[in-house]
Amino acid sequence: MRFILIDKIVSLDPGKKIKTVKSVSLAEEYLADHFPTFPVLPGVLLLEGLIESASWLVRETENFAHSMILLEEARNVKYKSFLAPGAQIEYTVEAKIIEENISSFTGFGLSKGERIVEARFGLRHFNLADENSIMEATDARIIEDMKKRRELLR
Amino acid sequence: MAMSRDEIFQEVQEVLVDALGVEDDEVTTEATLMGDLGAESIDFLDIVFRLEKAFGIKIPREELFPAESLMNNPDFVSNGKLTEIGLAELRDKVPHTDFSTFENDPDINKLGDLFTVGAIINYVETKLAAA
Amino acid sequence: MRWIWIDKFVEFHSGKCAVAVKNVTLAEEHLHDHFPGFPVMPETLCIEAMAQTSGILVGEANRFEEKVILAKITKCVFFDYVKPGDTIKLDATIESITPEAASTSGKITCGEKLIAEIDLMFSHIDQNLAGKEFPEENFVFTDTFKSLLRGLSSGDGSSGTLESGAD
Repeated sequence: MRFILIDKIVSLDPGKKIKTVKSVSLAEEYLADHFPTFPVLPGVLLLEGLIESASWLVRETENFAHSMILLEEARNVKYKSFLAPGAQIEYTVEAKIIEENISSFTGFGLSKGERIVEARFGLRHFNLADENSIMEATDARIIEDMKKRRELLR
Repeated sequence: MAMSRDEIFQEVQEVLVDALGVEDDEVTTEATLMGDLGAESIDFLDIVFRLEKAFGIKIPREELFPAESLMNNPDFVSNGKLTEIGLAELRDKVPHTDFSTFENDPDINKLGDLFTVGAIINYVETKLAAA
Repeated sequence: MRWIWIDKFVEFHSGKCAVAVKNVTLAEEHLHDHFPGFPVMPETLCIEAMAQTSGILVGEANRFEEKVILAKITKCVFFDYVKPGDTIKLDATIESITPEAASTSGKITCGEKLIAEIDLMFSHIDQNLAGKEFPEENFVFTDTFKSLLRGLSSGDGSSGTLESGAD
């Protein structure tokens, strides 16, 4: 099982907006526990899809300057409907601001015109070497990996 | 607990900012909860919980936000509009709201517009006075 | 990958608050994607761990009769990250509870460090989502979840206490 919660970047406007899609399949193991007899994508993974979408927008906008992009805060994340296997969700994330080490966004996910999730959230981005210069090689490795992953999402 | 209307507004503003994730300046007296501030069912529950805590009062959700049960009752709604009985029921349940514009065209889709920040302040004022 | 994000409860005060713990280990596959070379527990999975801690607390308050699901993350803030080898402690408190919903507050710590503060809202879906269809049985609180409470003994104050409410 891989921890990647979007499948494709549909459109990307650096500094501004990104649209991505994720398809849900019964092959995703956690669905067996969430829930038995009623498999639906867990709410936090819907948020993860929004976070990953925003992270790609940051990476492209800052040209992969930072290795670590983490959620700093989220507010008013609402789950309005369920997403079941066989369905696909399209995430739209708009940037309010993208600065060097922080950014904030609003985002939502739609499936067949129905709103599934919406959120306001902020990310923080940094390099491990900022605190400890021996981590430079690790930063480089993560950034290389993210560039390769970007290719998978075309 | 003699709170001024302004003090009540400050507390209500804080509750709405926390519950709805909106900015301070979006919470004006005229702002509608559903239209302007994006509140929905789950948010109404959150708002009630927080108002109860902030003001030390008990708020039956039905009293503050009766719209949902009204909309689902066939006696109260006909052809997308509230019937006379429906209007009477609404007036009875929400004395803290101003209906004059709504009464001219009681379209149920516009019910949401009635519930403004001002209406909440009125409600809290009444509850505190009665306490 | 199982969808269980806490390992056990160490305190449980029915209807009020609870404490759970989770070990973070390199054996967890997802860490290797987040991020390759520097694994940290994804924040969303930290939120899920809190949701499971709080959700079981809320569910148990109604004897697991309601299907309790996460409806809203009111607010969450992260102050630090969590790495393999860490054990996180999740403290959850019920702020309000009604037949339709519940709101909880919580914090995650790792030793002395504050990792996150997370406030959530849960919906009791049979009472609250008219028009959507669900299976009859309570698919939310499976035996796996309920068994997390089994390790707790009643009231003697030793590690792992289960204090009952009115019943």
